[in-house]
Amino acid sequence: MPVSKRDPRVGSSVGVPDGELHTNLGRMNLARSQPTDTTNAEICPVCKSSRYLNSSLRFLVNPECYHKMCESCVDRIFSHGPAQCPIPGCRRTLRKHRFREQTFEDIKVEREVDIRKRVQAVFNRREEEFESLRDYNDYLNDVEDITFNLVNHIDVEETNRRFEAYQSANEKEIQENAQLAQQEKQSFSALQKAERHQARERREAARREEEDERREVEDNRRDLLNRLASGADAETVAKEGQQVQLKKRMDRQAATERQRQLQAATESRNDSRNIVIKGLKSRQKVEPEAPIDPFGGLRFANTYFTLQDDYLWEGIQDTKNDVKHAAGGYDVRDYTQRALLAAFGGLGVFVADEMTERSRDEGAVATIRAEIGVQDMVMADPP
Amino acid sequence: MTQTLTEDDLYRTSTQYRLWSFSPESLLAQRRKTHDIAIERACRYGGSLSNGGVEDGAAHEEAYLTAEEELRLVQRYCEQIRTTSDHFKWPINATAVQYLRRFYLSNSCLTYPPKEIYKTVLFLACKTEATHMTLSEYARRISTDPDAILAPEYKVMQALRFTLDVRQPYKGLKGVLMELLNMANGMVGEIEGVESKGAQALQQDMLAIEKPPKDAQTPWTAPAGTVQVKHLADRINAAYSAARQLLDKPALLTDVYFLYTPSQLLLAALHLADAPLTSFYLTTKLPLSSPVRPKILATVHTCASVLSSFSDNQIMTKDDRAALETKLENCRDPSTRDLVKAHAAAKRGSESDEEEKVKKRKLAREKSLKEGEDLFGPSLGTAANGGKG
Repeated sequence: MPVSKRDPRVGSSVGVPDGELHTNLGRMNLARSQPTDTTNAEICPVCKSSRYLNSSLRFLVNPECYHKMCESCVDRIFSHGPAQCPIPGCRRTLRKHRFREQTFEDIKVEREVDIRKRVQAVFNRREEEFESLRDYNDYLNDVEDITFNLVNHIDVEETNRRFEAYQSANEKEIQENAQLAQQEKQSFSALQKAERHQARERREAARREEEDERREVEDNRRDLLNRLASGADAETVAKEGQQVQLKKRMDRQAATERQRQLQAATESRNDSRNIVIKGLKSRQKVEPEAPIDPFGGLRFANTYFTLQDDYLWEGIQDTKNDVKHAAGGYDVRDYTQRALLAAFGGLGVFVADEMTERSRDEGAVATIRAEIGVQDMVMADPP
Repeated sequence: MTQTLTEDDLYRTSTQYRLWSFSPESLLAQRRKTHDIAIERACRYGGSLSNGGVEDGAAHEEAYLTAEEELRLVQRYCEQIRTTSDHFKWPINATAVQYLRRFYLSNSCLTYPPKEIYKTVLFLACKTEATHMTLSEYARRISTDPDAILAPEYKVMQALRFTLDVRQPYKGLKGVLMELLNMANGMVGEIEGVESKGAQALQQDMLAIEKPPKDAQTPWTAPAGTVQVKHLADRINAAYSAARQLLDKPALLTDVYFLYTPSQLLLAALHLADAPLTSFYLTTKLPLSSPVRPKILATVHTCASVLSSFSDNQIMTKDDRAALETKLENCRDPSTRDLVKAHAAAKRGSESDEEEKVKKRKLAREKSLKEGEDLFGPSLGTAANGGKG
């Protein structure tokens, strides 16, 4: 359960589901340690049978009312369907499948843990979803208030109402966060498994190599002895032996190198899937890239003409219908647009006025140029 | 930054607008300034002329070229470039002529006589306008020495401020032709902001345009009966060819490239060719309510009048040119007399400096070595020099 952010190591991880926690804790034999009140632990409150009479006595508890009874009582009373709790004074209907083994020695703790689990399953927002640390701590505070109220029977109705209201309002987010937690847990466990697997493989490989080497050395020696025994010349045999040994060593080295490369390749593939970096935050959503704008925000508007698709002038008709040009992707509109731009580019530019203005005021022109993004280079002739 | 650019904004980014557009006054001022600087330099080297000792340069100003004479000489050589490129069927005359004019905005004929410059300019235009040929091929055709062509090239580039793009009106004229033909056949592109009567109505209006006036340049004459679409097409094509000829000659031999934009130029030429057609066309582009319409029309008309005021007899004749050139020979700047040698020296010059320095250093080193082996060591003076150098 999360705590206010002072020390993230305090408190267990959020997403561990019920079964594991219970099995782990069950293995630790918490419930079966010596209690302070011995009489309570031994006798079933319903049938009054004790461990002395039945050695395999097991006590079960129902999270509805947290009354404990022995397994045989549960079987006897609830096998035929839901029934009332046998403890006098408690009139809740219990069901057989909800009975379970008690994890904690103190029944109050068990109840509180169940409540907390229930609350956490609904109020599972993460720190990243909050704008500031203060907001996150406030949220945690509210959750803790609800939990406290539920545990200590304060304003139960009101609290339950709030609980349900929040749950119905935020179903989608609850589900998303639950999924995220599930994924994290999976990736974490897969990571651990992969690491163990790698370590095991390396040990195996080293052992195999050692064995191979030893076997080879023995074979060589045996072969040498055989050859000497069959009467070959000692010197040549020795030389051959050396050569063969060298060749074998080189081959083996090449083979190990290849294998190591292969392994590195597979490892890298695996690594990229399960990142070996520990303590990495969950990945953020990547914004899709906007399509690139070649003109960087500039737009063009024609005030004097609109380009038509077809011009009847025979000068361009041949080129338009010529397959040799069209196949390469040439569009006759490239030409016609440039012709019309040239025809009207500067029609509204009054050189006489603008040039006299410029000689009086260089700054304005520089502004115009700067807007269009053009720079002039002053190339004064050398004196 | 989302900024919308219109065609005018696009023209304003060109170097032709930024560097080579002038108001009439600033153009005159620029030329006068160049001329005055040249005359001032001429006065300084005027003492070396064979005219004898002159104290007052102003008294001998008639020995130098006047500004008008310079202008006319430049114009003569523009014509020369035009005829040369027409003769060889190179499509570059407009660019080359503009290069020459731009060059003589910041340089004077006294310093660089156009006779030596215009071949280089033509070669440069060949390279720019995609009719490049090797230098030897070009020199053979023009029958000039290759070195003489290359020598002033860098100077020309500097004077052009390395901006080699000249915006020409020809492509725009073709665009207008295309649009007019489409309009005659009932296809119109709707312009936003300009309400039009629709394609069919425009076509009818077009058929009803009045005949071109008597002094129009177009060779088209109205047919006898009613005007039909094919007559319209003929009219448009005739107007186009007339405008094209106007742009070929008068536009190049006057200063209109500096004073007006290519778009205004081509519309002015069209106006001279076929005025009613042009005004009809402009009405479809600029509605009567648009605020810039009167100004644009005024500009186009002034440009047209400049073009029409040009006539062939303004160009210098051959004899005049010969006379002016002899005068120029007497008063030109002697330091730029031999451009080829200056060019070669400039290429070689930096290397020879380096070689001299290297040789000097080597000698100094050898000397210090020799003195070092002397019984009493090197002399103090050389040791200090050798230590430093």
